[in-house]
Amino acid sequence: MALLEVRNLSKTFGHHTVLDGVDFDLEAGQIKSVMGPSGCGKSTVLRCINRLVEPSAGTIVFDGKPVTAARSDLLAIRQRIGFVFQNYALYRHLTVIDNVTLALRKLRRLSPRAAADRAGAELRRLNIDELAAQYPAELSGGQRQRVAIARALAMDPAVLFFDEPTSALDPIMAREVGGIIDRLRRDNVTVLCVTHDFELARTISDSIVFLSGGRVRAEDSGDRLANDYGDPHIRDFFTKGRTSP
Amino acid sequence: MNLSATILPELVSSAPEILRGLWSTMGLATAITLIGVVGGILVFYLTLSPVPLVRRLVQGYISLLIGTPLLIILFLIYYGLPPLGIRLSPLVVALIGFGFNVSAYNARFLTTAYNALDPSEREAAAAQGFPPAQVFRLITLPQTLKLSMPALTNQAIQNVKDTSIVFLIQFTEFFSQMQEVANRTFRFLDSYVATGIAYLLLISIVSIIARMIERRLSVPGLEP
Amino acid sequence: MNLAEIFLTLLRGATQTVIVTILCSLTGLSVGLGIAIARRLGLIWLEPLFVTFIYVFRGVPMLVLLFIAFFGLPSIGISVPGHVAMMGSLGLIAGAYLAEIFRGALAGVQHEEVEAALAAGFTRWQALISIEIPQMLRMAVPSMVNEFTTVLKYTPFAYTVGIPEIMKQATAAVSTTLQGVEIYAMAGVLYFVIYRLMLVCVRLADRHFTIPGLSSI
Repeated sequence: MALLEVRNLSKTFGHHTVLDGVDFDLEAGQIKSVMGPSGCGKSTVLRCINRLVEPSAGTIVFDGKPVTAARSDLLAIRQRIGFVFQNYALYRHLTVIDNVTLALRKLRRLSPRAAADRAGAELRRLNIDELAAQYPAELSGGQRQRVAIARALAMDPAVLFFDEPTSALDPIMAREVGGIIDRLRRDNVTVLCVTHDFELARTISDSIVFLSGGRVRAEDSGDRLANDYGDPHIRDFFTKGRTSP
Repeated sequence: MNLSATILPELVSSAPEILRGLWSTMGLATAITLIGVVGGILVFYLTLSPVPLVRRLVQGYISLLIGTPLLIILFLIYYGLPPLGIRLSPLVVALIGFGFNVSAYNARFLTTAYNALDPSEREAAAAQGFPPAQVFRLITLPQTLKLSMPALTNQAIQNVKDTSIVFLIQFTEFFSQMQEVANRTFRFLDSYVATGIAYLLLISIVSIIARMIERRLSVPGLEP
Repeated sequence: MNLAEIFLTLLRGATQTVIVTILCSLTGLSVGLGIAIARRLGLIWLEPLFVTFIYVFRGVPMLVLLFIAFFGLPSIGISVPGHVAMMGSLGLIAGAYLAEIFRGALAGVQHEEVEAALAAGFTRWQALISIEIPQMLRMAVPSMVNEFTTVLKYTPFAYTVGIPEIMKQATAAVSTTLQGVEIYAMAGVLYFVIYRLMLVCVRLADRHFTIPGLSSI
């Protein structure tokens, strides 16, 4: 059974249908990207899975537990899904180390020392341990993103969600993100990445879910998607619509 | 509580005094506001003095007046001076005490606005050959006043509320007339609640007028 | 009684002044925080109550509210001690102003950070306590303290309800010695010193708690 099963996921905001019956699976250890033109509902997929946005219809099963059931233990499920936001969403009033330890202390109930040890290990893994005492406002965009990744990884999540990890970075930093995610693969971290950046998706992903008009148009490797795919939505994307997120 | 069945007749029979009190309150608040604006501009002008000693003294004055309760100044003048042979009427004491106090607050509002202004416009005027006094009158003051308008109108609203303390120096205004009603009828709660409602209405009207003035005087690009 | 002795009685009154200031500030802080939190949690059915409360307590003069509490309520059988009357007037006024200050500061808390906390498995309440309230308080410090100094400057009216603070001691001394100028000047200096001490404490705290990227409102 897959770690994450998304079935017939739909979301409408008012009269606007953003997701219209999305299906895909994510296996443990797999790195998968969700791609598509802007406004195709990519980010909404992530937010529906942990119910930051309430799905209009469909079922989501995470690690054998139904997320969409009325009585699901949503908070426990969210603790097992690491979320790296597009703008990183670091807590501005906390130092880097406190950003990483907050959930460990408040949710895992670790002692301050144990939390600091755990957080320190994550900061070292991402090569940012020397930033521990800084505040988010003092960091560059790339550094903030690493803190956000460390914050998510510190909770030992079963899967890590990335929402547009390259959209707020310059091209050089953007390539570095691919390197970071690639290194996570060696640590056997499961990743679901929403992006409009085909280069990133192609380098990191085992497979890519192509979303357009709220529907899954194809799921395949990056190379095969790029090379003259039959579906017009995909062909359009690769011939013209690849510029904006 | 049934207001109409309790003190309404008393309010009606005391209407002339109450209205006179209301009139005094409004008159006093208006006078204080005008004195406060003129005094505030004067004090603000002195904070820009080229003489360091003057600036230091004026800053001390502002700080002291803002850091001391208004009631102390009123009592010092009203109860402190007569033994020294200086006997002033409650009205004069109120005008002096409030005048000093409100001028200090207004000067600080003007300073805050002044610090937010772009100095290059003053420099441009000076470069054109305007003497300092004209730069102040034609550029600095109008810009500062417009930028600090919300703070100044809030102070005017505060003035209306604060006039309710002058009965403590024997000045007869609205609140003291209502205390008369309370003492005569022994209906303290009704009288004071009625007083509160009246102030609320008064403050609402003054606030609406203040916002209208603010809108009338607003200049694009000089919004606070 | 010479002026030195009078100064000592004023100093004793200063203790009461500080107590009244703290009581009223704490009342205001609790009410202001309560309203800010309820609003943030989206308890919109309480909104008419908050709007009315803020409108009334920012519109009616403090002395009138004090008289309602201290002289008005006993006439219907509810006796109110002086300190409680001060909290019910000056304290609640501070609460009304602080509620608006906190509303402004909360608007500076970024929605993304709250969303990040929820995504990490925080409850709405935990996110409020760990993220929103600390940031809000940090941003609101200068305006908040400004409100507390305003409370201090309105405490002299406590003498009208018999609390033996600076003003009460001063008026008592003046009535026996007639040295009004000296005594009220001393009282004024005492208030000024307390006021400056509050500002110094804040400046120290402000420097100590400075956080890059979180500016005061």
